[in-house]
Order: sequence, then C-alpha cells, then structure tokens
Amino acid sequence: MSAETDPRPTIEVDLSINGRSRRLTIEPRETVAEVLRGRLALTGTKVSCDAQVCGTCTVLLDNRPVSACSVLAADAEGQALETIEGLADPESGDLSPLQQAFIDHAAFQCGFCTPGFLMAATALLREEPDPSRERVMEALEGNICRCTGYVPIVDAVLSAARRSAP
Amino acid sequence: MIRPFELHRPTTIAEASGLLMTLPESALYRGGTELLQVMKLGLARFAHLIDLKRIPALHGITTDEAGSIRIAAGTVHHEIERSTAVRAAWPALAELERHVANPRVRSIGSIGGNLCFAEPHSDPAALLLAADARLELEGAAGRRTIAVDDFILGPLESDVAPGELLTAIVLPAPAAGMTLAYRRLALAERPTASVACRLTVLHGVVVEVRLAVGAIGVRPVLATVASAALTGVPVTDLEEAIRVASPLVGQACEVVDEPGASAEYRRHLAGVLAGRAVRAATELMA
Repeated sequence: MSAETDPRPTIEVDLSINGRSRRLTIEPRETVAEVLRGRLALTGTKVSCDAQVCGTCTVLLDNRPVSACSVLAADAEGQALETIEGLADPESGDLSPLQQAFIDHAAFQCGFCTPGFLMAATALLREEPDPSRERVMEALEGNICRCTGYVPIVDAVLSAARRSAP
Repeated sequence: MIRPFELHRPTTIAEASGLLMTLPESALYRGGTELLQVMKLGLARFAHLIDLKRIPALHGITTDEAGSIRIAAGTVHHEIERSTAVRAAWPALAELERHVANPRVRSIGSIGGNLCFAEPHSDPAALLLAADARLELEGAAGRRTIAVDDFILGPLESDVAPGELLTAIVLPAPAAGMTLAYRRLALAERPTASVACRLTVLHGVVVEVRLAVGAIGVRPVLATVASAALTGVPVTDLEEAIRVASPLVGQACEVVDEPGASAEYRRHLAGVLAGRAVRAATELMA
C-alpha cells in the first residue's frame, strides 16, 4: 500500500452549509458526503450506492440536487450547500411542510432513503411550486426506495406542494 | 476513497491547456460525473485534476445571426434542457437533456464532458451526430472544428489532442423543412438503444435523412443505408419506407451484447426506435 508514500495535497475551502460559513482544510479528493459525515458529523446525508445512481445522498447546491457521494467538496465552494439538517426551521425546529407531509403520508419505513427523497423533492418544489404528479415522478425517478413503494412519497410531495401553494 | 490528487483551477482556456501540457498524469473535469466514478473504482488514476468550472468562456449558450446555436462545452445538461434558444431551434435536444441519467447528474454534468468521455451509451452524442453538429477544440496548436463522427473514435475514446480542450458544440440553424427527433429505450439509466433522426421534407417529399444510432455499438454511427431507403419518398408513403428501412438500421454497426439485452434484441430495438424517430420528426413538421 502506498498510503504513507502518497503525497496528500490539501486545500482551504470556504463552504456555505445550511446557511453557515465554514472554512475547512480538506484534501481535494474528499467528496461532499465525506466532508459532511466525516468532518462535520452531519450524518443525515446517507450514502448507499456511492455511484450517483440511488439518490440516497442527495444534497442541494444552489438549489439543484447533486449526489454528495460523487461531488468533490472543493467544488461546492461558492455555492449554497444544503443538507437534510437544514430543512427544519433552525429557531423553532418546526419541520418543513415537505417533511411534515412525509410523516402524514407514512412515506417511509426504514427511512434510509428519506433524506435523499426530501432533498430531491425540495429542489423540485423550489423550481416548480405546483408540479403535476407526472413531474414529481420524473423528478424522483433517480431516487430509489426499497421499502415503501413510491406512491406515498409522491402523494406526500403533491400534498406539500398544495399546502404551500399561494 | 479516491486516490490523492492535486486540484488546479484555471480561469482561461489557455491556462487550462498549459496546465494539461505541463502537469504529468493530469485530467480535465467539469462535473466529474464520469471521471470521479472511474477514479473511485481505481480504473484511472490522476495526480492532477484541472477544474474547468471557473473558465467563463466554457459556459453558456448563444445564437448567432444565422440562427446556429453555440453551446459552450462546460454548459450543464439542466441548463440546455431549460434553454429557450435550444427549445426553439432544436426541441429534441432540450427533450433529450431532460432524460439524461438523473436530475443530479444533469445539475453538474456538462455536454462537453459527456462527449469527451465518449461513453458508448451517450444520449447527446447520437443526437448531435444526426444533427450534424460541429465541435470546436482549442489547444496549444490553435483552434480546429470537427464533425461528431470524426470526434468519437470508440468506447471512451475521443479525438482530443494533448493539451487540447473541447470548447463548444455548434448546431446549425434548422433549414427549411428540417426537423430532428430522438427516441430511446432505457432499461436502466443509460439507453439500451437510441436513434436520432434529422429529416428534411420539401413539398411533401423527404429530401434528406440523417439517422444516427447510438448505444448498441461501441460508438454512435450514421445509419446511411437505412437513411437512403427513406430519402426521396413522399411523406404519404413513409410508413412503407419505414418498414423497409427499419431492419437496416441495426446493420449500421457491429452490435454488442450487454447484460439484459442481447445484440439481436438491440438490433431489433434500433429498427423500432428509428421508425418512432422518423414519425416523431414528421409530426414536428406541422
């Protein structure tokens, strides 16, 4: 193994995570998921396939969904990074309408995929506050759940959209 | 974990090209959606990664007076999907971009990275081949323009010279009577077979056809024999011509087996999808 002999370049990055600025010294090879979970103990972001296929590690970069497992943390610099920990109101702790809708619709069982679904759906509702069922399904097609089936999840997103629609 | 590497962030094309020439074991990336996967798997190892995101010239979509559309190579799929210029001129490209991989890949993956990586299942490559798009490259030796057919050499192999960058994709303005359609069948994220069709109809007659078939072989290819079978046909007789042309589409290249889809099945799919693409292009004529 060359772990000892490998040069380990580091880089200083300024990240904005859930509205809070963080200056970190990291290795360029570290992914967003590795920094969130390993350095910042923000373990709400789950990693499953580790190949940007399953959607479990979905976080937002400037309102767009990305796979935290496959984006370099250094590449998040200059953009607003949001994770599941940022969805609830930081003052009151109140859940976001979407989080509440997931509870109301029993849209999860084991819950492992849920942060990813919530972030993907949050991105959709910011871009399209009143999506059709078809659009919700399209926006979530890259997120995989192995427990509940998808109907309650789609129902939850549609109900949150209606609840927050003007 | 990815093996350690050093990160470089040039702000001009010339600077990126210079870094690529001077740094050993270096690679360019934009979103990293392809490159970081192969690095994770240990299939490729680079000591230096050159980030192209901070180069303004590699970003954005412009239309010139003649109506041709220039997409800077670093433009991400999501942005192309939403572009009003793309939607107006070549709606099939916007529609295609809406289904590339998944929403997360579309957020950060670029059209240029997709082409340079030359993954045989690439959706954009097949469509751009049918559309006769031109690719602009720039490097130490200057600039050059190349056709998609000449750029994609084989699986994961594109014609990029040392120190050279793909800078833009240029789609010509649609000529009179010209439409473009893309149809694919995807059993997973990547298509099992795909066909793009550029069709030109004047006075009720098909005067030109460019069928490109993707995913089923090691690189997208033009289905010239099938295209010829559709050319010169009155639109009213197109169904009969499609019946003749469909079986020829899968003959355009060596077709490979892959898990879940035999070569024979994929060859058949190519013919079916070609028919759908031709019909869809015809319907856009209205």
